[in-house]
Order: sequence, then C-alpha cells, then structure tokens
Amino acid sequence: MLKKYLTAIAILALVLMTASLQAGDVKLTFDHFYDGPAVLDALEKLHKGYPDLTELRSIGKSEEGRDIWLFTINNSATGKDTEKPGIYVDGTIHGNEVQAAEVCLYLAWYLLDTYDSIPVVKEMVDKRAFYIIPVVNVDNRWRFFTDPVSYNIGRSARVPYDDDRDGLADEDAADDIDGDGEILQMRIKDPYGGFKTHPDDPRVMVRTKPYEKGEWRMIGREGIDNDGDGRLNEDGPGYLDMNRNYGFKWQPPYVQGGAGDFPMSAKPTKAVADFILTKPNICFDYAFHNSGGLIVRGPGSKLAGMYSPRDVKVYDFLGGEGEKIIPGYKYIIGGQDMYTTHGDFDEFMYSNMGIYGFVGELFMSEQERYRKPEDEPKGEDDDHSYYGGTPQEERQKFNDFVTQGIMYKDWKKFDHPQFGEIEIGGWRTFTTRIPPAFMLPEMMHRNASLVMFTAKHAPDVTLEVLEVKDLGNNLHRIRVRASNPNALPSLSNKAISKEIVRRDILKIKGSGFEVVSGGIVEDLALDRISNVEHRPWMIFSSVPSFGKTDVQWIVKGKGKAKITYDAIKAKNQSLTLDL
Amino acid sequence: MRRSAKTVFYTIASFCLMWSISHAGGGELGYLSPEQINAEMKKIAGDNKDVARITTLAQTPGGRDLLMLELGERNVMGPAIMVVANMEGNYPIASEAALQLARNLTGEWKDELASRRWYIFALGNPDGYAGFFGKPLYNKFVNDRPVNEDNDEATDEDGPDDLNGDGYITRMRQLHPEGKWLKIEDSPVLMKRADNGKGEKGEYRLFPEGIDNDGDGDINEDGPGGCNPGYNFPHDFMHYTKTDGMWAASEVESRAVLEFAFAHPEIAMILTFGRSNSLKSVPESNKKATGVKDKYKLPKWMARQMGVDPDEEFTMDALIEMGKEVTGIQDLNEDMVLQFLGVGAAVNPNNKDLPYWNEISERYNEFMKEAGFEAERLKPKPFPTGSVEEWGYFQYGVPTFAIDFWTLPEPKKEEEKKKEDGALTPDEIEKMSNEEFIALGNEKIAAFLKASGAPSQYTAEMIVMGLQGGMMTTKKMAEMMRQMKKKEDSGGADATEEALYAYNPGAFVEWQPYDHPTLGKVEIGGMIPYSTLAPPIDSVRETIAKQLPFARQLSQLLPEIAIDKVEIKKRSGDVWQVEAWIVNNGFLPYPTHQGQRCQRPTPIVVELIGPSLTFLEGKARNALPLLDGSGGFQKLSWLIQAAEGKTITLKAHSFSTGTVEKSVSLKGGGR
Repeated sequence: MLKKYLTAIAILALVLMTASLQAGDVKLTFDHFYDGPAVLDALEKLHKGYPDLTELRSIGKSEEGRDIWLFTINNSATGKDTEKPGIYVDGTIHGNEVQAAEVCLYLAWYLLDTYDSIPVVKEMVDKRAFYIIPVVNVDNRWRFFTDPVSYNIGRSARVPYDDDRDGLADEDAADDIDGDGEILQMRIKDPYGGFKTHPDDPRVMVRTKPYEKGEWRMIGREGIDNDGDGRLNEDGPGYLDMNRNYGFKWQPPYVQGGAGDFPMSAKPTKAVADFILTKPNICFDYAFHNSGGLIVRGPGSKLAGMYSPRDVKVYDFLGGEGEKIIPGYKYIIGGQDMYTTHGDFDEFMYSNMGIYGFVGELFMSEQERYRKPEDEPKGEDDDHSYYGGTPQEERQKFNDFVTQGIMYKDWKKFDHPQFGEIEIGGWRTFTTRIPPAFMLPEMMHRNASLVMFTAKHAPDVTLEVLEVKDLGNNLHRIRVRASNPNALPSLSNKAISKEIVRRDILKIKGSGFEVVSGGIVEDLALDRISNVEHRPWMIFSSVPSFGKTDVQWIVKGKGKAKITYDAIKAKNQSLTLDL
Repeated sequence: MRRSAKTVFYTIASFCLMWSISHAGGGELGYLSPEQINAEMKKIAGDNKDVARITTLAQTPGGRDLLMLELGERNVMGPAIMVVANMEGNYPIASEAALQLARNLTGEWKDELASRRWYIFALGNPDGYAGFFGKPLYNKFVNDRPVNEDNDEATDEDGPDDLNGDGYITRMRQLHPEGKWLKIEDSPVLMKRADNGKGEKGEYRLFPEGIDNDGDGDINEDGPGGCNPGYNFPHDFMHYTKTDGMWAASEVESRAVLEFAFAHPEIAMILTFGRSNSLKSVPESNKKATGVKDKYKLPKWMARQMGVDPDEEFTMDALIEMGKEVTGIQDLNEDMVLQFLGVGAAVNPNNKDLPYWNEISERYNEFMKEAGFEAERLKPKPFPTGSVEEWGYFQYGVPTFAIDFWTLPEPKKEEEKKKEDGALTPDEIEKMSNEEFIALGNEKIAAFLKASGAPSQYTAEMIVMGLQGGMMTTKKMAEMMRQMKKKEDSGGADATEEALYAYNPGAFVEWQPYDHPTLGKVEIGGMIPYSTLAPPIDSVRETIAKQLPFARQLSQLLPEIAIDKVEIKKRSGDVWQVEAWIVNNGFLPYPTHQGQRCQRPTPIVVELIGPSLTFLEGKARNALPLLDGSGGFQKLSWLIQAAEGKTITLKAHSFSTGTVEKSVSLKGGGR
C-alpha cells in the first residue's frame, strides 16, 4: 500500500518536472493561478531569461494606476517585429476571468522554453512576432486575488457607474458580511421561497413542484442593502465592460449595457487600441475569456454586417481545426449562436482594423463530471456547458471526490442585519467559471497550441520568377509569382474592400530598361491580364489564403531588374534577374 | 421669355465680376485666425477674472490648443450650457458668434452668470479652421493627423496645387469625350451636369485644380490631413469614410469634448454653432432604424430554453410578455428587448420631446421675423451623421439646439406672377390649415397642382387623402413646391452656386485657359473656396448680434425644479403621512424623453431628512423619473414616525438643476 503510494508520488513528481523543468532556463509552473504581482514577476523572469527574444513594457495605466504589461516575443536577429506577421494575444479583459492570463503566460513560456528543443517552435518564433498582454483589466484581476469577490464579480473596469440610477455611483456593492474573504450566496428559511433541500445532498437546493411547500428562498449574493433603497447589492463597482467599449459600431449604454460613455473611454481599451495602431503587422488576434468551451468569431451583432465570404473560409478552416485541437470546444458565431454584442474587441479588430481573430472561452464546466462513460448523453449539444452543464448534485460529487470538497462552502448560519437569521454558502470564488487548478495544464496547452497553429498559418509569401520571355524588339515579358502556402492571406478581404490597410506592392525596379506595361495575371495560359493604367512598375495587390498572385511586366531595354514584394502583414521579399 | 430675363441677369452679373471686391482668405475677410480666436478667448478670461476661466483641453495634431472658456460665478452650482462652435472647422461665423456670446455674457448679460454656467468652445476644430488662412486657399476642413486617403504607398502626397497662381484652388474643366458637364448657357462661370434624359450631351470633365503629384492617375486625392472631428461623435457615426475618423471619438478634438462633457454632469443644454440649424425647422423624425422590424426571431439557444420554435417570428408585444415571464423582470420594456435582440439606437427625436422642439422652433421663427430676418435664405445643412448636435440629444440626453446664423440669401427670382385661376403660392399654402386647404374642393386643388407643375400621378383625391391621413401637411406641400421651383429656376446649376452667384459674382474665378502638364488644354475657374461659408465678417456682424439673444432665451427654458407643496397628515400619535409635489416650472422637461431612455443626465433625487425619524413607508432617498416641462410634477409620499413638532426637510437636487429645499414641522392635522 505504502509502496503504491510512493510510486504514485514519484510519478506525479515526474509529471510536474516534465511540465516545469524541461530544457528551458526559466522555471514557471502551471498548477496554480498567478495573482497580480505574480503575473508581472513571471513576465520579468521570462524577459530576464530570454532577453534577446523578448521585450517587456507597459502600454499604459489603468483607472487605478496599474500598468498594463505587454510582453513581446520577437527574435531581433531575424528582423524587426513589424517586418514579420504579428500575432496578438490578450487575456482577462474581464477581471474575473482569471485563467485567461495563465493561458497567455503559458503560451509565452512554452514558445521560449521549447525554442531550442522543438524545431517547429524555433521556426515560428523566428518568423513571427508575438504580442501578449496577459491582463487587460489589471485593476479587477488584481483585486480578484485580494478583495472578497465571487466568480462573477469584477468583470467591469474600475469606472464608477450609477447602475440603479439613483444619482450615486457604486454605493451598494456585495459585502463579505461573514468576513471569510469571499462573496457567496445567501438563503433564508421560507416555505414560499420556491426551493427545497435535495433529498440526497443537503447542500443542493431544488425547485419545489407547484403543489409542494418549500423550505428556502434564495436571497442572492452575500451583502446588505448599503444605501437603504430596498434593493440588495444593486450598484457595485463599475460598470463598464471593456469588451463593449471598443470602436466598431459602438452603441451607447442604453443599447449596449456596459458600453461606457463613448468608444475607448476606458483607459485600458484606449491603451490597447493605441498599441494596435502602432503594429500594423498584426494579422491575427486571440482574446481569451474564461468560460464556455468556445472558439468565437464575429459578427457580434446584426449592425456589424456580414463577414466577407472569403474571410469566412479562413475563419472556418482555423475554427474547424481548433475544434480538433481542443476537443469539446465549439466554433461558433457570437452574434448568431450566442448573444448580441456591440463594441467588442474582436469586432473592432476585424471590422475596424481588418485583422482576423477569435475569442477563446476557456473552461468547459461540463468537464466537472461524475458518471460512467455509458451514462454520457447521446444528444449533441445539450450537455455543452454553454447550454447548462453538469447537474448540481453530480457537480457536488465531483467536488467531493475529485477536488476533495474545496470547491463548495457549506451553508452556515449568519445573523443578517436586515434579514435576521440566514445561511451563507455556495460555490466558492475559484469555481464555476474557473476550472480546478489540476485541469489547467491541458487547457492551457491545447489553447496555446491553437494560437501556435494559427501563428504557423500566418502569411509566408515567397517570390519566384515564372517566366522571362524575349518578345523581340528589345522587349521582355516577365512573369512573377507571389505565393502563400498558409491559411491567412496577406490581407483580409475586409482590409482590402474597406481600404483599411495599404495593399501589398509588387514592384520592378532597375536601370537600363523602361516598364512598358504591368498588371495582374488573371489566367496564365490564356494570357488574360488586367493591366494597371498608371505607374505600371508598381502593382497593388494581395496574396490569398493557400494561393498565389501572378504579375506580369513588359519591359523595354536590358539590365538588372530587382523585383520586390512589400507587404504590411507579411515579410517583404525580393529577387533580382538579368534581362 | 424666361430665358431673355436670365440673359440680362447673367450679363449684369458678369459685369459685376470685373469690379466686385475679390474674395479672399480668412484674414482678408476680417475673420480671426485660430491663434487669434484663442488669444481672444484668453483675453476675455483675463479681463473678467471674477467670472471667467480658460482651460486647455487638448492639443490638436497640428499643435494648436483646444480651449474652453468657462463663464459663471465661482460658486454657481446649477445648470450649465455647453456651447460648441465650429466643430466642423468650416464655418468661421460660428466662432465669431461664440466669441460675441462670451463678450455679451461678460458684459451686458452678466446677470446670466449668477445662476448658470457657460462652457464655450469657440473653436472646436482649430486645425481644420486653419485652412481658411492657408495659401493657396482650399476647402481643407480636416485636422492635421496624416491620413492615407488613397491607401497607397505614401501619405498626404497629392494635395492641391495652385496652378494659375491666383491663390485659390478652384476647378479645372476639360473638353473630353468622357465629359459629363455642360456650361450653363449665358453664364460666364456656372456649370451643370448634363441630363441625358433631356437629350443633353456632356462636354466637360471637371477636376479640382492641381496636378497628379504621385502619378497614380488621380488629382489631389491625398492632401494634407486628416479627419473632421465634427463628424467624429458617437451617434450614427459613419465608418469607412477616411474623413470622419477611424471610429467615433478617435480624434483628440472630439474626445476632448466628450471627456469634458461626461466629467461635467451639470451640463443641461448643448448649443452648437455651425452649419446646421435645428430651430428653423425641427430635425426630421421619420428615419428608419436599422434592424427595427415588425417581427423578430429569437436566438436559437434562447428559443430552445423557452421551448419555442427558433424559426418562428414574434411581435414586440409577444416578446415583452414572454420576456417578463422568463426573466421575472416586470418592468421589461421594448428598449431592453431591442437591446437583447441587437437592434440599434434611437434614430428619431422622441415623439414626446417633439412638441417642445416644435414650440421652440415657432418661437425662433417668430423671433427671427421680429429681428428683421424675413428674407428667404438657403436651407441650412441637415444634421450630419456623427455630429456633436446629434450626439448631444441622442446620447448625452440633453436638449440640444443648433444655430447656423447665416446662409446665402435665396437668389431673387423674376417677379412671381400670380398665376391664372388665382393659383396659390407656397407662402399662402403654408398659412392654410389642412382643413382650409381641403375645403378648396377637388377642382381648385387639381388646378393648383397643374399650375405648380406637380407630376401627373398626383391627383387632387390623393392629396386630400394624404392630408386627412396625416401623411401630408400644407407645410410639407409648400416646401415641396419650393423645391420644385428651385430646380426649375436654377437651369440645372447647383442651387448653392446659383445663390452665391446672385449674391456675389466676385466669388467666382472666370474660366481661363491653362496648359496642364498631364491633361493638356484645360480651363481653370469656378467658385472660390469658402465663399458660400464666409461672407466678409463686417457684413454679418449685425446678423450674428441680432440672433444671439435667442441663444440666451434658450438658456432660460431650462427646467426649474421647485418643491411646490408639502402636505402633512397626522395618522395617529407620532405617525405622519408626508406628501410632496415636486414641480418643474421651466419650459423644458427633465430629463428629455430621449434622456430618460439613455439614462442621462443624473436623476433628480428627493431626500426626506429629519432628526430621529423612522420610515414606515417610502425611502429617505428617491430618484425621480421624468418631470415634464411647464408644470410637470411627481408626487411622493411617505409614512413616517417622528415626534410631533419636529421639523423635517425635503431636499430635491441634481447636478444640473441645483438644489431646492423646503422644511416643514410635523403638526397635528395641518400643514
């Protein structure tokens, strides 16, 4: 028995070692959550460990004066970051969605830690720039670890707001009345309260049937009526939802709750938008949130309009692969499959900036299971966390036997100043939207892998000469191909059609010859060319997803020609040829 | 007959061309430059230290200061009026008016400052306005933030060029097979678009004066700057236009105004001085909101949770009922459901606010008549999308009025002959009520329609039905007639150009041949920039001065809150019923009905305060919903327990209405 135990410990130690002590120089472990100072400490360690590959700087300060840290991974030996396709990743725009930051940290750590040992990673880091902001909502994520909160408190920025419209802002927050450091639930004995104790588990309450007398009434979140208006906890700190505060088709608070006074009115959203404007090379973004098991793309609302079919193909490919990389996740369209949102980050990135992106909803609460495989439901969606997840009594068993009961706080009597005798208890702060820590590693690794899969599919354009044909009379026809083996095109169709980003430029230059004509080859075999009318040496175009763009020039004269491909979101290329 | 009269007109006008005073830039026309406006604001602040303060709110991309002049007694806590002038940067008169308003308020209207505070942005768009002082002169209304308008390899590389060296960027015309424009017969300067449907064949291509600096085939397609912050506000903002900005509030100027406004909840009214005018006629209220439909589908997951067919469509009423049942929110309303369904913002002034706007408009037109401004002038520009005036009402939620002060006078037409059959003029029609018009009878109406050139599909019966059904009013009809008339009279020229030509023929450069480097033979000429926007300042000083008192009158329409009556009834022993009526004695409601929808400004809070009293019913603190204008009230009542003879105090306050108090003692039975 003891032997078995020791073996188990040895195996566990080995597993932890492989996760944390492999090849790299910086030891970060991912079996816990990083609080405010720990996130910065981890970033600093990574930066110190890999000074040539990383940069750590603040892009601005929050409402409460905290720095918003940007961690850049770029191998300066292979070029400036803005010369390479950029991948932007952020987390925790909602302060309570803590584990989004861990995914960002894990991604940064993994890319650096395995840079020398895994050739695929080395190539990716050398050819891409990664911009990682683990915590956007620095104020409320910081407070999530220091203040009494619950899993759904702290979503807002720290911008005061009069939620109950009584002329006062933030005057009636939830209160940790029993002083245990958490905001839980309150219940009170009430035969007409609509709930009764579950016969098998006294912690769980079930709704009474119409003909039954009940036992409990749920009062709501722990707290008192601070402002004496007869309502409980109705005006907590904030409410400005930064993921409704971005600029594309932003709608005011009476249309979109939490939108803020005007677009980018919150300091972190402004700081992030200002930063994005300085990195036009960003071609993909991933914003992590914490619950649902989803890979979400826009449009978030009908007002945002349809996405271009060509761009949808790119999304569908990446989202479809994502569902395989992270089993259980569903790839969905936010505004259609979920709910309407205006002014969210990914809409801003796609529709305003022309950048593809996903929102990752991390935790699948249905993983908190306690059942035999044969009891798994056969229906497709019904059990997905987004539609409800695991029943309470089953979840309690998971809590008891898989997490040793740390997820739930038993109901305890309390003398409430307004309600009298009540009970306080319920699912604790680090639950419900946040997985138990032991589930973190796989979740982080799979999500980081999807980011890496996408990064791999950023545009890599190569140039080749297809043909140099002597047309006689000192004329040459030159045909050049720019091709891209990856899923992301050099520009999204949105960026092209709305003229958001300058198009790629294919250019021929040199002395001793004159460019007679130039254009894009629509069909090589049939010689169908769409010539440009002006400046034929310079052709504006883009290189599609898994595709190519062919151009043709007719030049008169002889000499050395330099052909260049100049792109905002792909690495520039050039070649020379003799005429 | 008509033509010959026109010929005479144009001949006289072309004589005028030769001797009229040449138009010029801002300085020559007597306007203050951006720097001078700022200096003037500082001077007013300096000269009136007791009531005036100046704040620099931002620095524009062009390095100019965006200043705000605050006027008011230091200890005034009540309402404030924010005046935003020349936000579009293209309307010099607006800045002049704002400065004059500031001088009035620190001079003869100084008593205003005892009860109200004024925040004056005399120049909302300094960079754009600087264009008026640039050489050569061209319509640059944007700020100096570089924008790559043509999305090519360079930014701001192809601006205008003063080819003929006259100091103005006008237009170039060239005879060309692709030409779509024609000279207007007899006119030395005006052009019109050829109407193929009328057998007209275009002759000229038109270009802005300049060369294709970057050789991409386009002329002047990427000039210096920028974005116009006047269109960069968040209501109905237009994306993807280059000149309106990347997103609402993307520009420092608009952001500065927004930040300021939201930091100042005491702002109770916004006045904009610019090109639009919401007083001459009330903004339209018949726009269709995007996404508003008769029936809606529910999102799949929601339908599924509620056990309804996701493909079924529901009316709004049905959705509200279902929503109440599912959410338990009993005051669930249409807005909340629309928000849930992702349907957008309000697009029309709230029906319940319209009566106030209409009344104010009538007062304005009456005021203008008395001030001697009866002559017809060109219609002011409608509210632009993303404008500060739209945002002020639809999102900030306060009464917002736009004043433009001046547009070109309507050109004097040939004597309007009373037509045979005693046909009616637009003015006469406007004065008639719908019923009076219907009473004319079908025959007369038919004759009238014929005489006024209405398309033949409009029959008398239709018009009568329209009037009866409310789709048509005599006012609308008069307006339509005027429009129709305008088209006919202008001979196809742009109505503004036509009016300008009548007002000042010197505002046009006569077409002169020019040898263009890439186009070859062209002619350069046409309207001088800014001439429709800025007459010599001396000619409009009086116009401004006479209209400003209406801005003052508007400020006097603000809500005024009073505790009208407090009634105390003894219920038994030390239990008292307290009833209070909070009344709005001002003209305007608080908030506006749109304000109520967008939850702005902060509500009026009524507090019942007293020593050792217990509330048996009611709360100490009560936020009021809406108080209608001119006597609108809310009644509050409490049941309290307190010793007889004690004094209780009622206090009603909000940032923008100030505080009123009333104390009453608790006495048996009485008041």
